[in-house]
Amino acid sequence: MTRKKRVITRRDFLRAGSCVVMGGLMGLSLPKGGFARETQKSKVVLIRDSTVVDRNGLRPNLLEEMLDQAVSTLLDTANPQSAWQQLVNPTDIVGIKSNVWHPLPTPAALEEKITERLIKVGVKAHNISIDDRGVRRNPVFKNSTALINIRPMRTHHWSGLGTLLKNYIMFVSAPWMYHGNACERLGSIWLEPQVKGKTRLNILVMLTPQFHGVGPHSFSRRYIWPYGGMIVSTDPVAADATGARIIQAKREEYFGKNKPISPPPRHIEAADTKFGLGNSHPDQIELIQLGWKKDLLI
Amino acid sequence: MNGFHQFRSCIPCYVFILLTFLVLLMTKASNANTLKDLGTRLPKQLRGWTAEPKDRLYDERTIYSYIDGGAELYKAYNMQQCLSRRYTTANGPSIILDIFDMGTSNDAFGVFTHDTDGKVMDIGQDARFRSGWLSFWKHRYFVSIYMEEETAAAEKAVKALAREVSAGIAIRGFRPRILQKLPPEGLVSGSIRYLHHPMVLNYHFYISDENILNLSAKTEAILANYQAGREAARLLLISYPNLKVAKKSLMNFSKHYLSDADHTGFAKVENGKVAVAIRKDKLLTIILKSDSRRLAERLLAPFL
Repeated sequence: MTRKKRVITRRDFLRAGSCVVMGGLMGLSLPKGGFARETQKSKVVLIRDSTVVDRNGLRPNLLEEMLDQAVSTLLDTANPQSAWQQLVNPTDIVGIKSNVWHPLPTPAALEEKITERLIKVGVKAHNISIDDRGVRRNPVFKNSTALINIRPMRTHHWSGLGTLLKNYIMFVSAPWMYHGNACERLGSIWLEPQVKGKTRLNILVMLTPQFHGVGPHSFSRRYIWPYGGMIVSTDPVAADATGARIIQAKREEYFGKNKPISPPPRHIEAADTKFGLGNSHPDQIELIQLGWKKDLLI
Repeated sequence: MNGFHQFRSCIPCYVFILLTFLVLLMTKASNANTLKDLGTRLPKQLRGWTAEPKDRLYDERTIYSYIDGGAELYKAYNMQQCLSRRYTTANGPSIILDIFDMGTSNDAFGVFTHDTDGKVMDIGQDARFRSGWLSFWKHRYFVSIYMEEETAAAEKAVKALAREVSAGIAIRGFRPRILQKLPPEGLVSGSIRYLHHPMVLNYHFYISDENILNLSAKTEAILANYQAGREAARLLLISYPNLKVAKKSLMNFSKHYLSDADHTGFAKVENGKVAVAIRKDKLLTIILKSDSRRLAERLLAPFL
């Protein structure tokens, strides 16, 4: 006999103060692995290079160096090969969850470099796939044992911010069902069977992030800037929370007043406090900053 | 003979199918013609900007390829078609004009009310201008014009273009009649949202992860803020197509949202505020939150 799903209202959300309560409301068990533990600080690497994006576009070689340095630092290894060996096994089937939003997509060069690293540690090429919209139909994603999550940071009409947490919305059949209350329930997607416990690495691309959106397309070149950064962590919540602080700081710098991200990206804190996916508070994040320091905003 | 009788008895069905097909065909064609016709009346050149040679037309399916991530909003208001035109200049940002045919003036008004931030402009039937973006509605059209970067010249061009588009739409539309049911006293100007879809309601005021109020294309809903002195309230008014759905929706809402209501129907919600719901015929009125019972009762009075 199937148990009838309980309707969750605004009032339940306001009452639910802990992930235990919310997990119970959602009829979901809490994740046992794959994310940072709440009792530990989450390690986040922010790496920047002032020249990775120039007038001619992205410089793939510099991007590759940034990726290697960030991943090695994150996993405390002497070289990137060892770091990737910690992240995946040769037998893994790996889905690289990308983002194709055309004004600001995940850079193809970054997808290529990650694929190269996976092959280098023994993952079979046919067991690797890069996808965004088609993840629910993609056989590699359907059979995946590991996921790598990469996307650019931007403001978003429904969720406030297009984050790593938000990037998994394509794993559900009716994404619009998650739009309520500024997409606060996005964290629940990470507890779905196709995703739960599989994410090995999260990369929030901050090369030219977008800090404000206007109009139907929520995009204007005026509101992106060459930050030249990348945020890397095994904890998606900590990576998103770090990125969100940078976006908020940029908005304050640009607009000259306190202009909160709108709608507020509630899903980041909810992913921490209600779904137990990681740490959102700065005092629970060990931020390691590498490279270019100017206009760091954090 | 049997075959003939069978054929004769099916004639009404064949006629119905044929008429439905023709109506669908004509609706599509008239939409396309209307937007295309409107396109021909719009300027090709404007204050130093030149329109790209070809306009692009999108329908309810292809709009996702154009508005990535935000198309659900327009779909939620029954968007029929969208005409997009880009104006470029050598020494400035591009200007993007999107004209959405929403099918009815109700829905053109509705999608406009989704975002009413900004400075009120006297263009179309209501317009707003905020950093880099101007939007307005007129007749059955919602019009969006934004500049890829803000410059003084681009801002002037955007406003001039908006006026030209508005002039090209000869007919004026009507605001939804349900607005007349809102109590006028204390209604906060610019706070009205007109909608049909639970996704849009949840964006403005999160109710539930399920459609407990049975909102659909056949329901009309208004969300509005009220201010009475220092007290504030938020009212949701829903008109249902029939009594059965209206009754069921009140039952659902009472069960899931107001399960702890007292014998008078009031429940205490966040921050000491109160909520209450009543139904009269096919109209459901909900005070989602009110600073006091007195204000809630005053707002409910016209619906008793």
